Amino acid sequence: MIPPRVREWIISVPAMAWLVVFFLIPTLVIFVIAFKPATPMGGLGEGWTLDTWRELGNPNYPDIMMRTLRLSFYCTAACILIGLPFSYYMARAAEKLQRWLLMLVIIPFWTNFLIRVFAWKAVLHPEGPLKHLLVSLGAVPPDTMLLYNEGAVLLVMVYTYLPFAIMPLYASIEKFDFSLMEAAQDLGAGRVVFFSRVFLPGIRRGIQTAVLMVLIPALGSYVIPDILGGPTSEMLGNKIAQRAFADRNLPHAAALSALLCAGVMLLLIGWGLLARHRQKRGLT
Amino acid sequence: MKSSRLPATTVWLTLLFFYLPILVLVVNSFNAHKYGGSWDGFTLKWYVRLFEDRAVWHALGNSLVVALASTIVSTVLGTVAAYAMSRFASRLQKVQYGLIYMPLIVPDILMGMSLLLFFLSVGFELGLASICVAHITFCISYVAMVVFARLQDFDYSIMEAAYDLGADSRTAVLKVLLPALAPGIAAGALLAFTLSIDDFVITFFVSGPGSSTLPVHIYSMMKHSRFMPVINALSTLLLVVTFAAVGVSQYLTTKKGNGVK
Amino acid sequence: MDGLTFEGITKQFGDLKALDNVSLSIRQGEIFSLLGPSGCGKTTLLRICAGFETPDSGRVLLNGEDITGLPANRRRVNTIFQNYALFPNMTLRANIAFGLQVAKVPKKEIADRVEAMLQLVQLEKHAHKRPNQISGGQKQRVAIARALVNRPQVLLLDEPLAALDLKLRQRMLVELGDIHDEVGTTFVYVTHDQGEAMGLSDRIAVLNHGVVEQVGTPPEIYEAPRSSFTAAFIGDTNFFNGRVCEIVDSEYCTVEIDGLEPRIRMFNDKNLRANVPVDLSIRPEKFSIHRQPPDSAQERNTLRGVVENVIYLGSHTKWWVRVSDEYLISVTSQHSRFLLDKDPIRWEEEVWISWHADDGYMLERYNESDESLVALPDTEVQTLEDEPE
Repeated sequence: MIPPRVREWIISVPAMAWLVVFFLIPTLVIFVIAFKPATPMGGLGEGWTLDTWRELGNPNYPDIMMRTLRLSFYCTAACILIGLPFSYYMARAAEKLQRWLLMLVIIPFWTNFLIRVFAWKAVLHPEGPLKHLLVSLGAVPPDTMLLYNEGAVLLVMVYTYLPFAIMPLYASIEKFDFSLMEAAQDLGAGRVVFFSRVFLPGIRRGIQTAVLMVLIPALGSYVIPDILGGPTSEMLGNKIAQRAFADRNLPHAAALSALLCAGVMLLLIGWGLLARHRQKRGLT
Repeated sequence: MKSSRLPATTVWLTLLFFYLPILVLVVNSFNAHKYGGSWDGFTLKWYVRLFEDRAVWHALGNSLVVALASTIVSTVLGTVAAYAMSRFASRLQKVQYGLIYMPLIVPDILMGMSLLLFFLSVGFELGLASICVAHITFCISYVAMVVFARLQDFDYSIMEAAYDLGADSRTAVLKVLLPALAPGIAAGALLAFTLSIDDFVITFFVSGPGSSTLPVHIYSMMKHSRFMPVINALSTLLLVVTFAAVGVSQYLTTKKGNGVK
Repeated sequence: MDGLTFEGITKQFGDLKALDNVSLSIRQGEIFSLLGPSGCGKTTLLRICAGFETPDSGRVLLNGEDITGLPANRRRVNTIFQNYALFPNMTLRANIAFGLQVAKVPKKEIADRVEAMLQLVQLEKHAHKRPNQISGGQKQRVAIARALVNRPQVLLLDEPLAALDLKLRQRMLVELGDIHDEVGTTFVYVTHDQGEAMGLSDRIAVLNHGVVEQVGTPPEIYEAPRSSFTAAFIGDTNFFNGRVCEIVDSEYCTVEIDGLEPRIRMFNDKNLRANVPVDLSIRPEKFSIHRQPPDSAQERNTLRGVVENVIYLGSHTKWWVRVSDEYLISVTSQHSRFLLDKDPIRWEEEVWISWHADDGYMLERYNESDESLVALPDTEVQTLEDEPE
């Protein structure tokens, strides 16, 4: 008979070892390589250097950082603002309709991400249907460019990440105890008071999860600005790919990735602290 | 309180937003006009061109090989990890949970970049093998989470019942535990397969020459607008496959739901 | 006109008629219970009163004013919800202050009134806690405070004790009575538990299938039920199907029971005529049980039977006595000196049971569908004393 403690190790080690070797160590490698010198051949030189970090002062980067933050923030805000009424309706609908709506939200998840982005390229194309429609309605002048700008990137980011917001919002609204709505009414509250003082605090966890689920991948967006954006709407992800493939400057790509990684970790740590703080105060 | 009409309006507009581009894409795959700006008549020529493109089929083959391999490995590893996490409540399992949770959060591009740098540093040749390794890494997490969720309401006393009735641990696991978990494991495996077939960003970073999977190949086609209608056709076919898969799995789960629960 | 009045309230949910032309008037300051089995419409009536449902027809009047169409947040009526519905994100103090804040009461006054309420429900020490940090009984008290702090004209209580365990329920029942004595607000209390209703209420309305079966004080409802439903729902009882046989005098008649030998003498308070089909209802505690035939007295009825089952219940013993193929009678008896009884009546003994002609009542049987009520399974018909189970 093998003792339970040993049994636990035997069944825990395979997955953990795999993730340590192929996830944890590679993530640390990013931080190491950011301090290596680059060779002109696209390889890594000997010794250590801070040159890469100095190059990040290049005036191009603050612009790109700000744009990345701005677009991610707008995208998150839009996803929450659309996701809230959507999930509310879904959670309050009859069970059958709920199931259907859930399906309809999930199906885009099941279609290839590239194809969804590509579909927008066709819709927004200068000779595509949306442009024709808008011009014929007189809503935009004929020389308007719908593609290759920040607007297009933001639109499709919202399109892509909205389901990530809807899912956690729906899950928490579905669990929300709507007898609290009657309790609030009973105590004289109108719609606005109920919404701001009871409902939103009640689904706070769902909102926090939704923010993280959208914000983190949005910060790492690469394909959307690559396909639908132009040179003036590049994001951090584009730069990473550019440095890695086009310029073959691996330390530079690593340094940018390290920045992104640090940003994501800060977000998660902040979230964890917030959760712990609330737990201490007795708020689940 | 009268109910507001805002939520309902949002729902229907959002669904339109979700499905309009997909609809446009499907329609355009039959449109003779190259950019779909106007309807130039029905055609199947884009489909013909797609079937003549051997690179597409080669990439599809790669995708299937990778998806199959990574599904098998990640399902085994993920299931074992989920079982360990639900059976034992130790510090070790907290660490394991953290390790499994992290890949779900980290942006794709970070994972792609880190694996690329890792493979280059240790001299691992980029190709189908490196793609498989990458896919297994993120699939483990998804499989483990799905199976773990199932195990949360698993009644371990049925295992004890099996022992009580004289089963040894091998029999108990094979005849009681695994059959009870089968739907969860199947769901996890299906998710792993879909994610693997679907992944572009991570694959793009760790693929080598000649090892393009379908999404990577589609991406290279997208860079040239002359392929646009062909991609429309390909996408439409993939959509049909997806919807068929959703339909079948939906049918299977509801049928099972009626029969068993 | 003070108090709360329902006039001809009807409410339909799909095929189900939840309330059918219900009229009730509840006096200012009384504790009024709506009692009935689940699905009888009592909660619907309460929700109509609170403003969460609108009746299909009929009116609700509060102190003479029609409030039927008034939205819930503008009624001077507050509710204690079954699951308390406390706001989880607020402290107990904030929960209690909520209604006053919404009503834009000055801050100083809010603080004073909330403090007074906390005192009333004895929760001063816990005011900073949140609902998930306190016990069920404490939640119950917060819910009461949160409602009463608004000084409602009517307090609605929707099965407020259902989520508590028995001991706590009994204590809260006493506390509810005390709080009512203190504030004097009209309480409308919805429950399916006759024990709660009997113990707490000034008056009770028994509801069944959306219809008011009877309104009365607890003793009226128990001792003189006006329908077999009420008789069966409140307390435990034995039913006999029979027919009025002979009018003895202005007060008494005899009744013939199918398949039972002696005719039974009954108090004929309803002045029923001969040959009217009736249900007799005789409560178990009205019987005496004897080992020997008791002395025959004109005003007492006696039946001979065999004990089929004996259940010792602590405060009393219950016997099941087979008096005919059709009738198995439940008889209860208190025993002040049970352990001293050398020879208590046991299983399979031959016994005589007797009762006074005044200790039962007759209900005219209108249609056969009433039979279904008569056949109510014993488990659903709990007596007050049977509660601890």
